[in-house]
Amino acid sequence: MYPTKYHKPDSVDAAITALSGAEDGKFLAGGQTLLATMKQHLAAPSDLVDVRGISDLSGIRMDGDTLVIGAATTHAEVAASADVNSACPGLARLAAGIGDPAVRHMGTIGGSIANNDPAACYPAGLLALNATIVTNSREIAADDFFLGLFTTALEEDEIITSVRVPACAKAAYAKFRQPASLFALVGVCVAQTADGARVAITGAGEDGVFRHEGLEAALSSDWSASAIDGVEVSADGLMSDIHGSAAYRANLIKVMAKRAVAAA
Amino acid sequence: MSVRTPLPHDSAPLHVTGRARYVDDIPTPATCLHLAFGMAQIAHGRITSMDLDAVRSAQGVVQVIAGSDLDEIPDCSPSAEDEPLLSDGTIHYLGQPVFLVAATSHLAARRAVTLAKITYEEATPLLTIDAALEANSRFEDGPRVYEKGDVDQALSSAAHVIEGRIEMGGQEHFYLEGQAAMAMPQDNGDMIVHSSTQHPTEIQHKVAHALHLPMNGVRVETRRMGGGFGGKESQGNHLAIACALIAHRTGLPAKMRYDRDDDFMITGKRHDFRIDYRVGVNDEGRIAGAEFTQMTRCGWALDLSLPVADRAMLHADNAYHLPAARITSHRLRTHTQSATAFRGFGGPQGVVGIERVMDHIAHALGLDPLQVRQRNYYDDAFGAGVAQGGLSAPPGPPEDISGTKKAGTAHKLSSGTGASKRFGGAHSPEPMAGGAQTTPYHMEVTDFLLNGLTEKLATDCDYAARKAAIAEWNAGQPVLKKGIALTPVKFGISFTLTHLNQAGALVHVYADGSVHMNHGGTEMGQGLNQKVAQVAADRFGISPDMVKITATDTGKVPNTSATAASSGSDLNGMAVKAACDTIRDRMAEYLATEHQVKPHQVRFADGMVHVGAEEIPFAEAANRVYMGRVSLSATGYYKTPDIEWDRIAGRGRPFFYFAQGAACSEVVIDTLTGENRILRTDILHDAGSSLNPAIDIGQIEGGFVQGAGWLTTEELVWDETGRLRTHAPSTYKIPACSDRPRIFNVALWDAPNPAETIYRSKAVGEPPLMLGISVWSALADAVSACGPNYPDLQAPATAEAVLAAVARARG
Amino acid sequence: MSKIHVTTKVNGDEVEYLCEPRETLLDCLRDHLDLTGAKEGCGTGDCGACSVTMDGRLVCSCLVLGAEAQGKEIATIEGMAEDGALHPLQRKFIEHAALQCGICTPGILVAAKSLLEKNPDPTETEMRYWLAGNLCRCTGYDKIIRAVMDAAAEMREAS
Repeated sequence: MYPTKYHKPDSVDAAITALSGAEDGKFLAGGQTLLATMKQHLAAPSDLVDVRGISDLSGIRMDGDTLVIGAATTHAEVAASADVNSACPGLARLAAGIGDPAVRHMGTIGGSIANNDPAACYPAGLLALNATIVTNSREIAADDFFLGLFTTALEEDEIITSVRVPACAKAAYAKFRQPASLFALVGVCVAQTADGARVAITGAGEDGVFRHEGLEAALSSDWSASAIDGVEVSADGLMSDIHGSAAYRANLIKVMAKRAVAAA
Repeated sequence: MSVRTPLPHDSAPLHVTGRARYVDDIPTPATCLHLAFGMAQIAHGRITSMDLDAVRSAQGVVQVIAGSDLDEIPDCSPSAEDEPLLSDGTIHYLGQPVFLVAATSHLAARRAVTLAKITYEEATPLLTIDAALEANSRFEDGPRVYEKGDVDQALSSAAHVIEGRIEMGGQEHFYLEGQAAMAMPQDNGDMIVHSSTQHPTEIQHKVAHALHLPMNGVRVETRRMGGGFGGKESQGNHLAIACALIAHRTGLPAKMRYDRDDDFMITGKRHDFRIDYRVGVNDEGRIAGAEFTQMTRCGWALDLSLPVADRAMLHADNAYHLPAARITSHRLRTHTQSATAFRGFGGPQGVVGIERVMDHIAHALGLDPLQVRQRNYYDDAFGAGVAQGGLSAPPGPPEDISGTKKAGTAHKLSSGTGASKRFGGAHSPEPMAGGAQTTPYHMEVTDFLLNGLTEKLATDCDYAARKAAIAEWNAGQPVLKKGIALTPVKFGISFTLTHLNQAGALVHVYADGSVHMNHGGTEMGQGLNQKVAQVAADRFGISPDMVKITATDTGKVPNTSATAASSGSDLNGMAVKAACDTIRDRMAEYLATEHQVKPHQVRFADGMVHVGAEEIPFAEAANRVYMGRVSLSATGYYKTPDIEWDRIAGRGRPFFYFAQGAACSEVVIDTLTGENRILRTDILHDAGSSLNPAIDIGQIEGGFVQGAGWLTTEELVWDETGRLRTHAPSTYKIPACSDRPRIFNVALWDAPNPAETIYRSKAVGEPPLMLGISVWSALADAVSACGPNYPDLQAPATAEAVLAAVARARG
Repeated sequence: MSKIHVTTKVNGDEVEYLCEPRETLLDCLRDHLDLTGAKEGCGTGDCGACSVTMDGRLVCSCLVLGAEAQGKEIATIEGMAEDGALHPLQRKFIEHAALQCGICTPGILVAAKSLLEKNPDPTETEMRYWLAGNLCRCTGYDKIIRAVMDAAAEMREAS
């Protein structure tokens, strides 16, 4: 790890100030990816701004029919939350399946989506659930937030403060784990929303998380696992890497989509 | 009686409290320097420029050395002097150390190496078996060939000829403690080295060579390793030499440990293999002749590749009698990490070759694979099928002071079985009618026991009924399919380099009766020290608590062999026994004289020394002997008898005996994803008369799981530039807790070794790894349930590979 | 590089150390507090050899900064035995021979203890998945699971 400076602000404003004052600062929001990346010398931020002590970023509450999850909430807290389990049980189960216990105790929802790892679970969940990402300056629909591999709509000096998830009783996430990392080789989140079915896929796309129109159309007209049989899932645009070919991932998308529908 | 007792590992109380000290835990002086290597970023070519200015000026950096800074680049090779510590300008693999940084902290050294600016003139690397074959890039001038009988005739006259190819990947050791070493300069230019190594003498030899010191100027100490598995037989040389070199140049202590990533990129792994086979069989699946062509990527340097490839050839038969056989071995040189020792040392690769053949024969002829295996087994030795009884069997005959068996116990074991005829020397098995069957390297197989063992395992685990139930279950399941397989292992015990089969020990008895024990073997978790301490305690008739286990130390026992080839207990147990017996005989003689009895009337048991009618506590006896001015310190020495081997001709008796076992695994696969699980595994394994059943069963369980990992999830991937892409636990998948068999039954085939080993036990380190083949074979069986075609499952059988095989089976 | 002064509790004792911002909690435990029970197996949070608890929650100390421990309560393997008496998990690991080279053992014990504190009666499946982040290369895990389940049973009886 290269030398760095450590800041522990107690407010969002102080966090922004610390980051703006840094040459090449990064928010530290659990660090389960960032610190590992820094150790491998693949990232070398001049400053780390630890946001987990900021009370405004923590906690889970209901706002009417909408679940509001503070950005610094850990995966374990989301998984265990009574509010999440009742308003959106699929999301609680998604969180419970991320990584291993140590990761779930440190990693946060804000950190995960800001990083937008192409194999992370939360991006698929929030995209399928039509969530809204709230920052210190604006609200961004999940559809507009995830822009590509490790790329989001976040501006420099912008910080995620919370995530708003419309309650959704019928949603589930099915993941085929890359066995070594426990990340998704393919993860599919399906949700039945007021506007029809939404299906988001992580782990597979060359450009990161994406929605699948064919699967959404099929499930919108017939919410059943068998509806997926007739959908063609192309390997075009899917990743081929040491953990699986594009064709294998295409196959897994259908299998996981069916399992998700069955579990929802 | 402390042997054959399931006592805990001697370090267990330290392990569970976090107090067991490994190299990186040894307190270091504040002046200690910390080292890191800068590594080549291409697989083959030459360095054209190397700008290390930024490295030198980085914070905390004390010294930076490139190959060109040294008059003579120290060699790290255990064999051919072809492994310079730092590149001499030529790059042989991506990850090769090119310069060395010494800094005031580990983090500072690691950070500094990233600041180097190196340019290269790249050449095309040879990365694959095909590329190396085409370029005739190999070690030795041509392939090695072992031959027995007329294979061509056997193949041409066989009813069926079955041929195919099996490719199997390598395996990263993933010892959880990475490579580590520390060197402490002494006041007269000598060096003390702490090393996480299976081979302290080799470290001593290489460090002495690097520093131009005689071997007596270097002392190497190894208390314990956090796992070795063969990966610390030669791969620790680089770190120890680097530390010694820096310590020598600076006069300061120096420590080096590889980060996990560096460990993956720098060190060698298990050899991957391609095996082409052609076998001729009759309608019953009995083999008349078999031809194997083994090809392996040895990587860039020789290391231990010749004996590894030899051992693969020596295990091409595994448990099966091949009337005619030809085994051809190509040792290919590639621009990758130098493949090295890994538990089984080539044996597993050879065994996978013929186990694959057994499954292929069964598929082709529509036979049960187990039946095909049993039909091709060697004949059991006389009495081998009845001398056993599983874990509940009575212990084998113990030996008393003079090494003869106590009549009572021997009688008990032999009653009704005639089995006691098998034990040793004058009671060797009678030759079989027409002579014993021979291996493809012309060694008589006289201690085979797998017919009886397999029969018992198949019965105990209900193989036939479960096989039928699985077929029925599969017929009704569209998505999930189960498979089952029972596979054996017969593994040759001894170093094939005959002179390595020797060991030494040093034992002191202090005047208070406490015992200090030292031997040349190293502790890597396998429980060697505990087993050997039980031997020492048994020789003196005292509690093992009285025996102090001490760090392996080249200053105490010289010229040792690596703790490898499963030989640790066999060799060091015997050496310690010899040392103890020397002291015991001196004590007996003194006390006998004192009490006016004969020395053989002095017995050591239950913490007491029985001299005639008198009982003396051992401590008091030791003190009396000391007062009588008799030495209570002795060395012990042992060399394995009855072995001789010509590796060029492929003839002789390379092994003292065979350790054997079998496993039956049941798996389930998901035909939509290829995902799979081990549902149940039953193992019956032959550890002779186990010195410590708890430790031996631990070895069996761990070896099995490691073998299953090798053939299923552990996939090493190099990209087209020669970069290893699976270089961390996030990309390279070793078995985790959730991967172990849901039901796991392990028992010992508790029969004394007919060969005269320490308390008639058998080596147990490596053989169980090959029990993991049952999982791979069961996966192939499950895949076969998906369709009529031969699924041609390769290894490792990752989920994606299983899914592809399902598609092939369906056609 | 300015160092950070950290005050934290380790195994119940108030401790202080000075660390660089980039030093992990594992580095601080091992290098500044001489607590070498937690090991670096991978350094990337994938092997669990460095497991400790922070405010009662299992974490990989190699993926927590030393600075993040400010004001927290850390528990390591060194604090598991109380007044010299081994914790039931420690005893059962010895009894069941659930260890070989021993380098994963501290992490696995810390992880298992943290589960049993939350869930004194876990199923075997829950235990397997809880320990999914703790790798062992020697034992094959069977004896580990047996030891943990046995310790859990004993602890339930005692409570």
